[in-house]
Amino acid sequence: MKLKSTAALIGSIIGASLLAATPAHAQNVKIGLLSGITGPIAAMAPPMIAASQLAVAHVNEQGGIGKGGKLEVVVGDSACNPQNATDAATKAVNIDRAVGIVGPACSGAVLAAANSVAVPAGALLITASGTSPQITSINDKDLVFRTVPSDDYQGRALARTLKGRDITKVAVAFLNNDYGKGLAEAFKAEFESLGGTIAGYSGHEGSKASYRSDLAELAKGGADTLVIFDYGDGTGLTILRQALENNFFKTFIGADGMKSDAVIRELGADNLGTFFTSSPVGEASSSLESFNKAFTAAGQSPDAIFTTTSYDAAFLMALAIEKAGGDNAKLAESLRAVSSAPGEPIMAGEWAKAKKLIAEGKDIDYKGAAGDHEFDKNGDVPGTYAFFKVSGGTYESLGEMK
Amino acid sequence: MELIGLANYAIFMGILIGIYALLALGLNIQWGLTGLFNAGIAGFFAVGAYASAIITSPHVAGRVGGFELPIVVGWMGAIVFAGLIAWPIGKVCLRFRSDYLAIATIGVAEIIRLVIKSEDWLTGSSRGITGIPRPFGELDYVASQLAYLGLVIAAVAVVYFLLERQLKSPWGRMMRAIRDNEAAAAAMGKQIEARRLQAFIFGAAVMGLAGALFVHFNRSITPEAIDPMIATFLIWIMLILGGSGNNRGAILGAIVIWLLWSVSEMITDRLPTDVALQAKYIRIFVVGLALQLVLRFRPEGILPEEQARQTAR
Repeated sequence: MKLKSTAALIGSIIGASLLAATPAHAQNVKIGLLSGITGPIAAMAPPMIAASQLAVAHVNEQGGIGKGGKLEVVVGDSACNPQNATDAATKAVNIDRAVGIVGPACSGAVLAAANSVAVPAGALLITASGTSPQITSINDKDLVFRTVPSDDYQGRALARTLKGRDITKVAVAFLNNDYGKGLAEAFKAEFESLGGTIAGYSGHEGSKASYRSDLAELAKGGADTLVIFDYGDGTGLTILRQALENNFFKTFIGADGMKSDAVIRELGADNLGTFFTSSPVGEASSSLESFNKAFTAAGQSPDAIFTTTSYDAAFLMALAIEKAGGDNAKLAESLRAVSSAPGEPIMAGEWAKAKKLIAEGKDIDYKGAAGDHEFDKNGDVPGTYAFFKVSGGTYESLGEMK
Repeated sequence: MELIGLANYAIFMGILIGIYALLALGLNIQWGLTGLFNAGIAGFFAVGAYASAIITSPHVAGRVGGFELPIVVGWMGAIVFAGLIAWPIGKVCLRFRSDYLAIATIGVAEIIRLVIKSEDWLTGSSRGITGIPRPFGELDYVASQLAYLGLVIAAVAVVYFLLERQLKSPWGRMMRAIRDNEAAAAAMGKQIEARRLQAFIFGAAVMGLAGALFVHFNRSITPEAIDPMIATFLIWIMLILGGSGNNRGAILGAIVIWLLWSVSEMITDRLPTDVALQAKYIRIFVVGLALQLVLRFRPEGILPEEQARQTAR
């Protein structure tokens, strides 16, 4: 008798909670925002999170989701390792009932969270900073996307640009992680196939006090140009400083990770006349400008790495949710619909306009701060890159890279 | 819906706790039973993980592998390789005692990590290995998670059962004797060196199995997973908190610490966003605090070693 009534009680609780979960009219939608808040990229994470949250703020200020619903964010710490990333993703998807995940930040974390949580659970995942080529090949049921190009593209574009500037012999120093190594490999393959010479090629570990012996070894090859695939607010700065101090090389080339204000602040623009970097840029520049303006107004620096991609990832997630209209199974399909041409162009921050067009059933095409975001069949975006030099305390574009 | 979500989360936690429990059990053989201060758990975890990944994953140009053998073979391989690599390491390092051994094993784990991070042909270096099969992976989300939890529980149960048998056998008593009084044990004719090496290899093999369970769960492995914080020190805390020398203590420690680690984030997430971001660090603090409290008020751990309790009375 007692057992029976307990069973009935449990049954009614389950029934009630199922009822409570049926969609109401003004329903809020949750997304998970995962980033490496603690751990090795702790310094990069806060601006990335702020950029994603700016996108969410734009959505909620300009009408929210559906009929008066709000977009809610749960921030999870993926700590740049698979253990914490799967934990945070599981919590976001199961406890907070997030329909999609923006992040995680590091490629290894993306691989684990996608493979063991997002794809099996049917949640859409858009990473803003997982650049490893391995992410392309996840068996993802079309649920894994990224707003940042695979390292392959940038490394190859940089090789072509250097060749175009008649630099034929270089040494390459890269940070031995998926970012540095991915870029270095792509760069090396393209540069050599174009007939260039790699006169030194070595990976280094992060956070050492001195890289002079690594640099001396690289300089032995006789190249005048050093290509550094590293982060300008970390190890890359140390390498650049020590290479300048000891006069190992004359010209220095970096990728997007090196295009950091910390480099100019620490070394001084006067000393950086021969320092160039590549970096992804938004094609639709008005979109980038409006992002820069809004992000600066929010008290953040838009030059911080991966902020534009983080904004776009969250904004695209919101567009997909709006377009799917509450049917979570259609999220991926909707994401492709709102991001690809043709359609009425939507710039960063234009949520009200996008919402209206979606409600009217019109096709839209989001042109983000970081680029056009025409996803290919693997959910990757080809990047648009520009080549920068240091001028007057800031970076000045020398034009687009082919 | 909410209940299903909670259940899914509980299943996921069960899987990770099981994997960590195996690591803690492996450490218990080395430290709890034999008194070997192994601070290189991450290394053996990694060897097991990569061994199973290479044995079972599809072919990729420029890297050994493409064997695509059954997962069971991968798990066996993980146990064998982790044990094999422990043999020369043990041969060299076990001549050190206590903290010197700890330093040596930290070094060894770091060497293993750097080799994995650099050797393209073997491990895919910093990009890692992907496309690793998962048992029951083709089922839908909940069923596949449940089935995997079943596998993990079975693995923990088998290891626990075997360890308990070992512990109660003459071998277990001998190991304790060696730990507590080496000179006396040697005088009784026990081969100290060989026995210590045996325990070291045995523990490493269990850690290798944990690594294998971890990579098939995530279907991928990158060097980020073998960070010493999450793959060495967390396990030490689990064992010390749970009670070293007691297998149930090792499992309990894994449960308590992982719950603290994971659930504390859910509590801090209820705070306002700005504070919540900074509060993510709290869980590292909470785990440290728990360790301090246990060391201060119950240094033998929550579930102390059974024999020690008898002698104390």
